[in-house]
Amino acid sequence: MPDHLFVGKSVPRTIEADKVTGKAVYIDDLKRPGMLYGKILYSNHAHARIKSIDISKAKQLEGVRTVLTGQDIPDVRVGFLKDQTVLKKDVVRQYRDEVAAVAAISPEIAEEAISLIKVEYEKLPAVFDPFEAMKQESPLVHEIDARGRPLKSNILPLPWKFETGDMEQAREDSVYTSKDTVSTTWVNQCCMGTSGCIAEFDQNSNLTLYDQTNVIFGHIGRITEYFSQIGLRGKKIRVVNPVVGGSFGTKLDTDIYEFIAIQLALKTKKPVRILFDREEEFQALPPRQPAVFTIEQGCDKEGKLIFRHCEAILDNGAYTSWGATTPSVMMMPMSSLYRVPNVYFKATCVYTNNIYAQAMRGYGNPQATFAVETSMDTLAEEAGIDPAEFRLINRNRPGDQTPMKLKITSCGLEECIKAVKEKLNWDEKQGKQNGRGVGMASLIHVAGGARVTKSDGHGIMIKLDEYGHVDVIESGTDQGQGSPTVISQIVAEALGVRPEDVFLTFGDTALALWDAGTHASRHTFMAGNAAIGACAKAKRQILEMAVEQMPKIIKMGLKRKKRKDPEFVEPDLDFGLIANPEDLDIRDRMIFPKKEPDHPYFNLPLAQILQNGLLVGTGQSKVVMAEEFYDPPTEMLNWEMKGNLSMTYAFGASGVEVEVDEQTGEVKILNLIAAHDVGKAMNPTLLLGQIYGAAYTGVGYGLTEEIKVRNGRVMNPSFRDYQMLTAMDVVPIEVVIIEPIDEAGPYGAKGVGEPGLVPTAPAIANAVYDAVGVRITDLPITPEKILTALKEKK
Amino acid sequence: MIDCDYLRPDNLEEALGLLKEHGPRATLIAGGTDVMAKIRNTKKTPEVLVSIRGLKDLKYIDKRSGYHIGALTTHRMLEQSELVKAELSALHDGASRVGSVQVRNVATLGGNICNAAPSADTAGPLLVLDALVFMEGPEGIRSVPITEFFTGTYKTVLKKDEVLTEIKIPGEMEHFGSAYWKHSRRKAMNLPILGIAVSLKLEGEIISDVRIALTVAAPTPVRANKAEDFLKGKALSDEALNEAGKIAASTECCSLRDSLRGEAWYRGEIIEVYVPRMARLAAERIAQRRSK
Repeated sequence: MPDHLFVGKSVPRTIEADKVTGKAVYIDDLKRPGMLYGKILYSNHAHARIKSIDISKAKQLEGVRTVLTGQDIPDVRVGFLKDQTVLKKDVVRQYRDEVAAVAAISPEIAEEAISLIKVEYEKLPAVFDPFEAMKQESPLVHEIDARGRPLKSNILPLPWKFETGDMEQAREDSVYTSKDTVSTTWVNQCCMGTSGCIAEFDQNSNLTLYDQTNVIFGHIGRITEYFSQIGLRGKKIRVVNPVVGGSFGTKLDTDIYEFIAIQLALKTKKPVRILFDREEEFQALPPRQPAVFTIEQGCDKEGKLIFRHCEAILDNGAYTSWGATTPSVMMMPMSSLYRVPNVYFKATCVYTNNIYAQAMRGYGNPQATFAVETSMDTLAEEAGIDPAEFRLINRNRPGDQTPMKLKITSCGLEECIKAVKEKLNWDEKQGKQNGRGVGMASLIHVAGGARVTKSDGHGIMIKLDEYGHVDVIESGTDQGQGSPTVISQIVAEALGVRPEDVFLTFGDTALALWDAGTHASRHTFMAGNAAIGACAKAKRQILEMAVEQMPKIIKMGLKRKKRKDPEFVEPDLDFGLIANPEDLDIRDRMIFPKKEPDHPYFNLPLAQILQNGLLVGTGQSKVVMAEEFYDPPTEMLNWEMKGNLSMTYAFGASGVEVEVDEQTGEVKILNLIAAHDVGKAMNPTLLLGQIYGAAYTGVGYGLTEEIKVRNGRVMNPSFRDYQMLTAMDVVPIEVVIIEPIDEAGPYGAKGVGEPGLVPTAPAIANAVYDAVGVRITDLPITPEKILTALKEKK
Repeated sequence: MIDCDYLRPDNLEEALGLLKEHGPRATLIAGGTDVMAKIRNTKKTPEVLVSIRGLKDLKYIDKRSGYHIGALTTHRMLEQSELVKAELSALHDGASRVGSVQVRNVATLGGNICNAAPSADTAGPLLVLDALVFMEGPEGIRSVPITEFFTGTYKTVLKKDEVLTEIKIPGEMEHFGSAYWKHSRRKAMNLPILGIAVSLKLEGEIISDVRIALTVAAPTPVRANKAEDFLKGKALSDEALNEAGKIAASTECCSLRDSLRGEAWYRGEIIEVYVPRMARLAAERIAQRRSK
């Protein structure tokens, strides 16, 4: 008998057939009775005072139900640092500032009404460069803070500093050192489904928000706080996911458009939908946080790292969302990617009149790893050590505790680096600088949750009906990552049913227990562990029922047989084999005694036990249902930014072979190797999909993707001009799966949602250097940058 | 939402009648890949759309005393035509790189040049293939060389009451080899940063005739005459081709601009590099055809 029937198998994603046949109901398809369509008017300036807003013409337009400005709604501050209001009434600080909003009976009328609103502005001096913005003489983006106290600087009061060891001594002890400045820019998450929500109040002012968020309970917290300030204290909020068309980090915060939809719904007493068009998605959705790093490292004669010193400047934009918190994740690679005893990392977030940023796949890790891995290559060169060897010397190992106090349990980094070396034929190809080159980069990421809020828990409920169908009420969300399949595999395995017997309900706060959010590559790990716990409880209930029902059913069967066939000799059965729940097991829909799994009489279908045991009459009927709230024993970061915030960590390495056209600066990727320590591959096909997708997004991050922001304005708000790679641009990719079964993971699995993206861009940059001897330290690595560098080199 | 009259004539005569009837209120639409995008982007809808999709007679690729291509021939048809691939290679290169398969299935050759974008992927190839553009209107049929067709960015000599009916490529182009390079960041769904088309005829190793065209290098697609003059009569050598590339990239042949998609200096570099590369490819293609 194989160990697992379903875990580790490439169970197809049949659960999601509705998506590919167009039946799935996304926010775009969802209509509520009497629903109105909301539209937002954005600022025309990067920084300006609003002198007047004339909404008279918009209001008169037939079909318009309401027009709101900052004057019409309570002046309540929202956001991570409470540095903005829902509609801006005095000053706009970026082009995407929401100035007015309309609800109308059709999207076209709403759009026309928006065009009829006249706003008069008085331009204010603006600042677009974070380095300029830090200077004393720079214009202030905000005059006062959330509490009304005057501000003197554009630097945000955030605690992003990490320090361990003796930096001065470490510098002295280092034989080789290197120093690099690297920078990364804004990139859009590019979800297939654009942002949108429907806000609907009942007659008692309780809110149902149909919303694509992947942090459903986080929404409730933020909206509850907002409600308490707008006279709706104590009202109930229910957040319901429609089918979600991708997240990649976009849906972590409660965005301004969601508060606007709530205000429009309150005012009109109708459900109101706001749905972004693609241009809006590029212009008004907070993208990945840009950053500039100055990184220094030093090592000893043998190439052992002695110190890492890094200062980062983050262009925060005009307001603060999760982008400003990405340094908390940057600290992880900064302090813990490779063994390095002395670390200093400081990140400064600076207000500018640019767009602001939030989360995107990797949450600061891709930026920081680009810095660390660029520095690893320059230091290796300085020390005269092969870059792969240099990484192996400094690799993390199982059992390590890093300077950040991360406890490394399983760690397949060594295997990953070696796999990349072997697959790329590294030793033969590296170091030639003949137009072709190889490069690599590694990664560390949380893979067993991430305790960023007090609870990092995940609750799950399961129940079974008399037909053996299993309902799983998930507290997480399904944004397309494959969870319905993976969780049904886990439930099927743990409970003894089949994946097709398992039905999942995602994303409804009224049904589900609590969850910290489907982010940080945590869902399979958290929900998987919770599911295993819930299944164990439900299984116990079923087996208790089986102990009661099995002898009855078997005896009845024997009697029936005897009646039909008087020759039949009743066997002498040992009912002691099935006398206790502990003696029984369930597998593939069958219940049987553990001691004799193939017992000819003691094998009964699960559904038969349930039919006999569930709905049986007065005082006898039962339900089978169980819940589990899994909240792992991890730590929140302390004031020193130290603590073991995840149960386990993922490692991996990417290797790239490139060919660079020295006349045009074009980079062709000949081969991409993605080696990942995943704990256990729960569903190999799905896992490959995750890694392919992440790696290709990493190629885009490395070579082509860039939101071009000029003087605060997004200049390329379309897929025509935003160069996300297409299906025609795929590159040869080989995935190597390393499975150091992790004890803490469900069946040994670690999270894999984000890791594939993280090391790709630095691996490309390192390969370009190996090919033509120029180091591009500013993403994306465009042909123009390469050509310019090549000309300078000559 | 698009709110306008949508008229769909069955033949050319009807179409011309409708254009006359509705005058400046009407906009002609074929595949719609440019017209619909423009409506969406500008939020301006014409009062009347006259669709010529029903004019099946304008969909053909024929070779008889020259090459005749109906205006409604789709890019996909050009891409899949063995004749075009072998004998009008630059046009094949250009047509195959427009948008995606889905776009190429509907987008027409006539539409691509009537839209007259400086970046049109078939314009450069047609310029180096000496194409003649045929138009029909109330006063009958007329033709202009493609070099005179474009009058400015998104502007052509086509009158409001005329329909472009055919692109004709002279038979002598049979003796030319040609190639087109679309320089872009990704392989599909993209506009070129720059387009370079070259056609040439060889007598032994001597370039007896040559045409070079550039797109996104000036307000309209242009021929690089000075570079052509330089090359004519010279032997096919790296030295000559590189010099021709330099001339093509100079202000004598184009007026490069910085834009969101690319900076002027980089466009110049690409012209310098790809004029020789495309000339070499065109020459290779002649050799390939001879060896068949």
